[in-house]
Amino acid sequence: MSTFRIGMAAIGLILIFLLALPLINMITGTDPTVLRATLADHEVSASILLSLRCALWATLAGLLLGTPLAYLLARCSFPGKSIIQGLVDLPIMIPHTAMGIALLMIYGRKFLVGGLFAKIGLSFVGTEAGISLAMAYVSMPFLVNAARDGFLAVDPKLEKVARTLGASPRQVFFHVSLPLCRQAIVSGAIMMWARGISEFGAVIILAYHPMVAPVLIWERFESYGLKYARPVAVLLILICLVVFAGLRWMAARRQED
Amino acid sequence: MLRLDDISLQIGGFSLQSINLHIRQGEYRVILGPTGAGKTVLLETIAGLNRPQQGTISLAGKNISATAPEKRHFGMVYQDYALFPHLSVFHNIAFSLHIQKLRKKIIRQKVDRMAEFFRISHLLKRLPRDLSGGECQRVALARALVAEPAMLLLDEPLSALDRLTRDRLQAELQRVHRQLGITVFHITHDLDEAFFLAERMAVMREGRIVQQGTPREIARRPKTGFVAKLMGLRNFLPARLTTEGMIEVRGMGRLSRDFLRPAPKQVGDYLVTFPDQAVEIGSVQTGKVYCWQGMARIAEMRRGRGRVDFKLALPDNTIIFTACSQRETDRFPCSPVPGMEIEIGIMKKGLHLLAAK
Repeated sequence: MSTFRIGMAAIGLILIFLLALPLINMITGTDPTVLRATLADHEVSASILLSLRCALWATLAGLLLGTPLAYLLARCSFPGKSIIQGLVDLPIMIPHTAMGIALLMIYGRKFLVGGLFAKIGLSFVGTEAGISLAMAYVSMPFLVNAARDGFLAVDPKLEKVARTLGASPRQVFFHVSLPLCRQAIVSGAIMMWARGISEFGAVIILAYHPMVAPVLIWERFESYGLKYARPVAVLLILICLVVFAGLRWMAARRQED
Repeated sequence: MLRLDDISLQIGGFSLQSINLHIRQGEYRVILGPTGAGKTVLLETIAGLNRPQQGTISLAGKNISATAPEKRHFGMVYQDYALFPHLSVFHNIAFSLHIQKLRKKIIRQKVDRMAEFFRISHLLKRLPRDLSGGECQRVALARALVAEPAMLLLDEPLSALDRLTRDRLQAELQRVHRQLGITVFHITHDLDEAFFLAERMAVMREGRIVQQGTPREIARRPKTGFVAKLMGLRNFLPARLTTEGMIEVRGMGRLSRDFLRPAPKQVGDYLVTFPDQAVEIGSVQTGKVYCWQGMARIAEMRRGRGRVDFKLALPDNTIIFTACSQRETDRFPCSPVPGMEIEIGIMKKGLHLLAAK
């Protein structure tokens, strides 16, 4: 190995160490019996399941609404495209608590959209729908950007040749473009789900209750201190690691096939 | 069969300007032009992938200018084949049949027949990434032809291949055209390819068709210096028609204007051009076949595979080019070397006159 590569590897190792240290320290420093007891705690398991479930709804909504936009951003040029691209990226940049307040002022019962939904019995404040909504807003860029890059990587000639072979634009999308960027969309969806599960700032403003796992960790830390917050945090980290490693592995296997 | 009348279009950095073409049923038509001439834009416009801003495209008398590409029934093969990487060879070929929702048994029969025709039956289960360039090309042709299109559109289909494979596939394209009787519209920048395949040819430059005809006609009578250069001509001598009806050619002196086709009418400046084979070197005969005969100096010579390329300086240092086979140089009175004076003759028959601009 050249000196240059050894240097790069050394710098890379520093980063890996910095990233892994807090996680390893937290996981190894927690007594397994305490972890088992935490898992048996109904409030904890319910909050973790709620996080996973709400992030899943958000991701499904993201797939449904984000994929067409990603396709348009990759394939079409239109006035205001860069503004739309900036809008998609906005949730990454602005503080999520500010995002939560902005959402509350639209989806709150007393406000425009929230009022309309309230009439059909759907409330976004203090409900699962609200949690999913907050998660979707802040995590959407991960899916849209990944899917857009996926569509960009599909050679437009493949779509053109499919048209000459008798496929309509809709058939070209479903038979050529979508299958070819499936990997990118799956990867984006995994990222979106992960980002949704870890969301705290926007969720706490829109729905403190029912409590998702990050809110529960915060509440236990505030009310009972580090000792009680830590096992919940470790549990959430472990579950996330297992789930995402599994999903990544499955996605990679499908790609190889 | 296919008519393009006054087609104009601007797309990105490319444009088509007043394109008029008439392609007959069963014809093999080649469009020859350098990179950036707008050939692919023209092909995609015929396929329906670009909408012309002006003019009409008609197929068998029916205006198809606004018809969607999927309704035109043209098969298309791109330079890099554009095979669907996620589909096996079988499913690539069957793509258009699946879209038509044909029965599985019929799809199987049609794909098998096409695979047999192109001798790729053993590849049907493979993915495009496991194919060689020549195999990809055959699969792309089979995919384009399986639905029996009205016309086959080829976008530089041979340029990504090595010479051996290219030669083999040129013959393959000729076989496809002859055996299936299909109309082919083929664009290329390769002169040899155009000569080998074209029944008729059109030369394109900067979005315009500059000359049409059989390859032989265009090569013998290029309309402009650009076409002449594209046809491989390298000898261009400035000339001037005088009031006495003689033409003064640099390096060759005064010639009768009767030697020239087309015969110049107006007094003024022209370019005289002739192909390499109009210059006889070494063993010059005596007779009336030449319009100029004399000694030239070998300025440079380059030996290739069985061929020798000469750059010759005429007595007034005007440079002309010619080439001959190695075997011919063996018959020269003495072996040619740079700097040597050698007798040459420029044949009347090869001379062609171009406007000076």
